[in-house]
Formats: sequence, C-alpha cells, structure tokens
Amino acid sequence: MSESTILAFVGLSKSYGQTSALRNVGFDVPAGEIFGLLGPNGAGKSTLIRILMDIIRPDAGQVRVFGEPRRREHLDRIGYLPEERGLYTKQTVLDVMTYFGTLKGLSRADARRRGAEWLDRVALPHVGTWRIDRLSKGMSQKVQIASALLADPELCILDEPTTGLDPVNVRLVQDLLIERRRNGRTTILSTHHMNQVEALCDRVALINKGALIVYGEVDEVRRRYSLPEVRVTAPGGMPPLPLVVGADHEGDSTWRVRLADGAEPSALLADMVGRGMAVERFEPLLAPMEDIFLRVVREERV
Amino acid sequence: MNRMRRWIKIQAIATFEFLAVVKRPGYLITTFGMPVFMAIYAGVVALPAYYATQKDHEAALYGVVDRADVLHLSGDATSAQGHLPAQLRDALEAAGQQAAIQRIEEDATVTFRPFVSEADARRALLGRRVKGYFVLPPDYLRTGAVESYTPDAVDLSSADPRDDLGTLVRERLVAGRVDGGAAARILAPVGDMHRFAVTRTGEVRDGGKMASAVRLVVPLAFMVLFLMSILMTSGYLMQGTAIEKENKVVEVLLSSANPDEILAGKLVGLGGAGLLQICIWLSIVLLAGLGIGPMLMAAHIDVPWTTIALALPLFVLSFLFFGSLILGTGSLGSTMREAQQLAMVWSLTAALPLITMGLLIKDPHGLVARVLTWLPFTSGALVVLRSSMDPGALAWWEVAGAVLVLCISIWGALRMGARLFRVGLLNAGARPSWREVIRQARLATP
Repeated sequence: MSESTILAFVGLSKSYGQTSALRNVGFDVPAGEIFGLLGPNGAGKSTLIRILMDIIRPDAGQVRVFGEPRRREHLDRIGYLPEERGLYTKQTVLDVMTYFGTLKGLSRADARRRGAEWLDRVALPHVGTWRIDRLSKGMSQKVQIASALLADPELCILDEPTTGLDPVNVRLVQDLLIERRRNGRTTILSTHHMNQVEALCDRVALINKGALIVYGEVDEVRRRYSLPEVRVTAPGGMPPLPLVVGADHEGDSTWRVRLADGAEPSALLADMVGRGMAVERFEPLLAPMEDIFLRVVREERV
Repeated sequence: MNRMRRWIKIQAIATFEFLAVVKRPGYLITTFGMPVFMAIYAGVVALPAYYATQKDHEAALYGVVDRADVLHLSGDATSAQGHLPAQLRDALEAAGQQAAIQRIEEDATVTFRPFVSEADARRALLGRRVKGYFVLPPDYLRTGAVESYTPDAVDLSSADPRDDLGTLVRERLVAGRVDGGAAARILAPVGDMHRFAVTRTGEVRDGGKMASAVRLVVPLAFMVLFLMSILMTSGYLMQGTAIEKENKVVEVLLSSANPDEILAGKLVGLGGAGLLQICIWLSIVLLAGLGIGPMLMAAHIDVPWTTIALALPLFVLSFLFFGSLILGTGSLGSTMREAQQLAMVWSLTAALPLITMGLLIKDPHGLVARVLTWLPFTSGALVVLRSSMDPGALAWWEVAGAVLVLCISIWGALRMGARLFRVGLLNAGARPSWREVIRQARLATP
C-alpha cells in the first residue's frame, strides 16, 4: 500500500452458506482518483462495498483505509450511496439531509447549512421544505447523491448514481465527481455505464464471480485488451509497410491499420516518419470498455 | 473521543426519531385528544351514576306497624333533623354530644309513617304511597325480629331503610331512660377511630385506611403506568424499524452508526416520545386531582417518599430493558404486524407483576416476591411494591442487587438487541428462520 493509496482491500473472502461471494479479492484505490468498480450483477461488488462500510464482516482478509486498518470512526470520512437506497418519505428534504449530516459528525447547524448549499448545487434550491414523498424519482436521486457528498468525504462510494437520471442531470453528477477529483477527493463509482467509466474513471477493478479479473488504469486496461490497430490520416496514401498486415480505407485519406503481431504503434509511426510520409493523424485504437467488459465476462463463463 | 463520538450519534438518532414521532398528527391527536375523550367518557358514565346517587339521597317514605308499642309515633317520623325526640336532643346537648346529634341527623333520609294495621300499610304499598313497610311484632323486645314488606320487583337502589329503622328504634328506646353520654354511645358506639401501625422497629405511624391506600396506590400506579408505557411505546419502537426497512435507508444508517448506537438512539428517541405522552396524561390527571395533596397533608399520612424516589430510576431502568428487547425482537419482523407478534411476549412479561399483584400483596416479602426481585423482568415493580408495603423488611442490598441486575440486563439486552437489529434490518424480505437468525447474530458482532 503506497502513501497515495487511500483504500486497500487485502485478501478479502466472504461466503453466504455454500455460495462464495468474494474469493481472495485485493486491490488498492489511489487517493484523488475516480475509481470504477465494475462487474456483472451478482459479481460481489455490493458485498465488497458492504464490507468496506462495515455493514457485513468478511470471513477473511482486511480493509485498510486512510493508511490504517479500517475502524468505525473512519466511516465518518466516507460517503455512501448504496444501490438499495431511499429516504424517509414523511420528512422534509432538509431535515433528512441534516440528519444524515449529523450522523457523519457534522453539527446540526453546519449540516443544515451544507444541506441548503448542496441543494443549490444539484439544482434543487426550492425543495428544502418539501416532504420527500413530493419529490420525483430524479429529484430524490439527486437529494440522495447530495446527502452522500454533504460532509465532503475524503472517500465516497457511489453505487449506480446516475440510474434514472436524464442526460442533463447525468452531466451534472459527472461534473460533481470531476470537481471532487480536482479537490483531491476520491470517489469509487460502481456502474454498468461503460461510457461513464471511460469519461470519468482513472482506474478500474472488474470483479466477476467474486474474484478480481481486471485491475489497472483505464487507458492501460483498454490498451491491454485492444487489438493492435491504429487510425492513420496520410494525405499521400498508405503504402504496404513491414509492420502492417492490413489497412481498411475509411474515407478521404484515413485508414484503419492492423499491425503485425508484436509490433508497437510507436514503431510504426517512427517507420512512417522515417520514410518521409506525411502523417496528419496517428491514433492508436483502444478497445471500448464495454467490449472489454463483455469479453472478460464471457471468457469467464466459458 | 470515541465515547463522545458514539454519544453524538446516539443523540442525533434520538433527536431525529423523537421529532419524527412527536410531529406526527396521529401522535398529537392521541396525546391531547385522549384526555378529552376520557373526560367525555367519564362524564357520560358519571352522569347517570350521579343522578342515581342523588335519588338514593332523596327522602323515602316507609310505613311502620308498631305492634310492640316501642315507637309511640303520632305522625310521620324520621331520625333526621328536627325529628330527634326533644327529650333525647336536650340530653345529648347537655352532655356536649353535638357531633352525635349531627351524625344522626345527617344520616337520616327515611321517613316512617305509622299505620294502625298491616292491612292499611299493605294498601298504601299497593297504592305506591310508601316504598315498603315494617312490622314490629308484639314480642319484638324479646326477639328483635322485624318483618319487612316491599313490592315484588327488583330494586337496585343502594338506599337501605333498615339502618334508619334501627336508629329510630334506638332513639325511642333510650329517650328518657339513660343520661346523655350513655345515649350518645348507644346511638353511635364507635365514633372516630384513629388507626395506628406499629413498625418492626417499634415506631408508631399512621395506619388508617387512607395510609394503607397510599401504600397500595404507589406500586399499583407504578405497575399500571409501566405497562401502559410499554404497550404505548412498543408501537413506536417497532414502527421505527419498519420505517427504515420500508424506506430503504438501512444501509445508509448502518454505514454511519453502529447497530447498538442506532438501537440506543431509537430507544431514547422513540421511548422518550412514548414516555412524554404518558407524562402529559399523568400531569393532566394530577392537575385534575390537585385536591388530593392537601387532603393527604391534612390527614398526616406517611407518604412513602423513599418508594417514590426509588420508583423513578427503577421505572427508567426497567423501561430501557424492555425497550431493548422489544426493539431487537421487533426488527426481525418483515411487516409491522409480524413485528408486533414477535414483541408481544415482552409486553405480556411486563404485565406479570400486575397480574400477580394480589398474591404479592398478601406476602410482599415471601419467597415468590424475593425471587421476583432478582429477575430483571419484575425487579423494578417488586422493589417498589415491597418498599411501599413494608419498607423495613426490604434490605438495602436487595435494592442495590435489583438495580445491578437491571443494569447488567440492560447491557445484555442492548448487545443482543443490536445483533438482532442488524440481522433484522439487513433481512428486508421474508423473516429469516430462527436457526438463520442465531447463525447471523453470531457472525454480526456489533
């Protein structure tokens, strides 16, 4: 666990009767990143998060947070938006937010003030005195996200935060997460929306059947699971080259180029420049996260 | 620091739960509407009773056929005011027996009309001119036998003319035959009786009916109020856990506070709301019965202050104990109804001292009472009962022991309740089997 690691799972295992929910799972979450926790339904993500939040206890392994073994006091510094979530329907929005804030160690007055500020930030400044059951599903979702972020936690776990939100509000939530990263805060994002992972996450961990399958920086993971292909725009044409096994013309002066086994894109670029070719655009093609997800999960099934 | 943090969380949960309940319209209606309802109900019940009593006090006319010739009545006679034989009145006044005169006159509400023959009296009865008639046979002085004739109908009136007839006969028999003092004692042989009780240490204290009543009322009030509090509050306690399940805020709550912090906070908040309701009702009752205070003071009754002082902490401790059990057990129910069924066993247990009170009063320091003093389910009520009935026989170490047992039991109940609470909250679907509950509770270290 390096100094910049805010959270580390070490050899976690958990079973429910005969069913193994987690099998020796371990990885680090560096501080100040947006970390994607991925996996199909029933993979063990929720179990992992519940263990982190001390809602359930692991059979083996350890959770280290803020550089030391996780204690109850640490939870005040961790925000949480669970998958199975709701609000006290008969209470007013601000009362509920104040309550959740005080449970995270804020004073009542501070929690209330921050509650009002956060309602403003999620574009709901007028609903503070509304009863929760008056809110629409999207409004309720935003209030829950605001409640999780109210105490400005150093680490926040958001399980499917954008489900049910319209594109405008999805963007609003994404902006909040980016702002958190800018402020050095860490967010663990559990989601099935791979486009969000690509757009937001610095690093991912993919869990399947209770085991860690993929872990690493997003670009590195995408490279690792990508075919050796580059997109090239060369106005002078694309002649046969030793490192190239095929090229598909995509229009104008652009080709989708397949590299030979073991060939690096940087070597191809150097070869093209060395030959005096005019290269306007040279883009290694990374596999979409969705493809990686599907491929890895299918391989596991097989 | 850690303790402070825990207290802050408990306080936050307690405040939220308390405000959530007391702001509910249903709570306000029950709290302030119940006394109004009870007052109206009492009025509806009391009004006919009042008129019935008034009717009983109205003068009733009875016939009397004096064959023994002891009454010498020349017209309607009563033992009421102005109808004491003048000779007797003078004798009583001369002997300073004004109190006896007053008592005789106040008690009399029956007028007796002399009839020459039984046939005349029967005609008057059939004609509803008299409510009944008495016949004093010729050998009355020797036998004391009197015949009473009343209509063949059910009479539920509490008025009984036999005492009035007895007084009338005594007045007429003693008039002119004995002096005033003796006459007063014949007419009212036992005046005011002062009762005293001698304690085990030889101390003499008030032992009147009122004193006995006070000594019985304190533990009875404790038991009734305690049972009421448990029954009223158990609903709130179970509603508290049901709301978390229903609104799916369980995980957020468990990620912010320990199950025992949540349990303690709910217990204080929801229990406080229930107790506040009881306090409001009690205050209304006390305000309505303010007159009893001066009456007790005037009667110089030894109020069992030690018992009353013990009652408050024992009430709170017993309440916390039962509340933890109800909250923990109730959280296992998947619906409010199921939760109530599960927690019913504790409500029934809380009623145990009240159910067995008759037996316990007979022997407040017997084996049963002593054993129950050491059981956390009954110790609070038993200490209050024994201390009130006969404080001398209750050793200090029994009181200390009962408090200790309750404190340890509360700790145990909170720990057990917290485990059940965690298991119950996380099982939001169908209620888990008892085997599963035990298995999960063993894993779920709070």
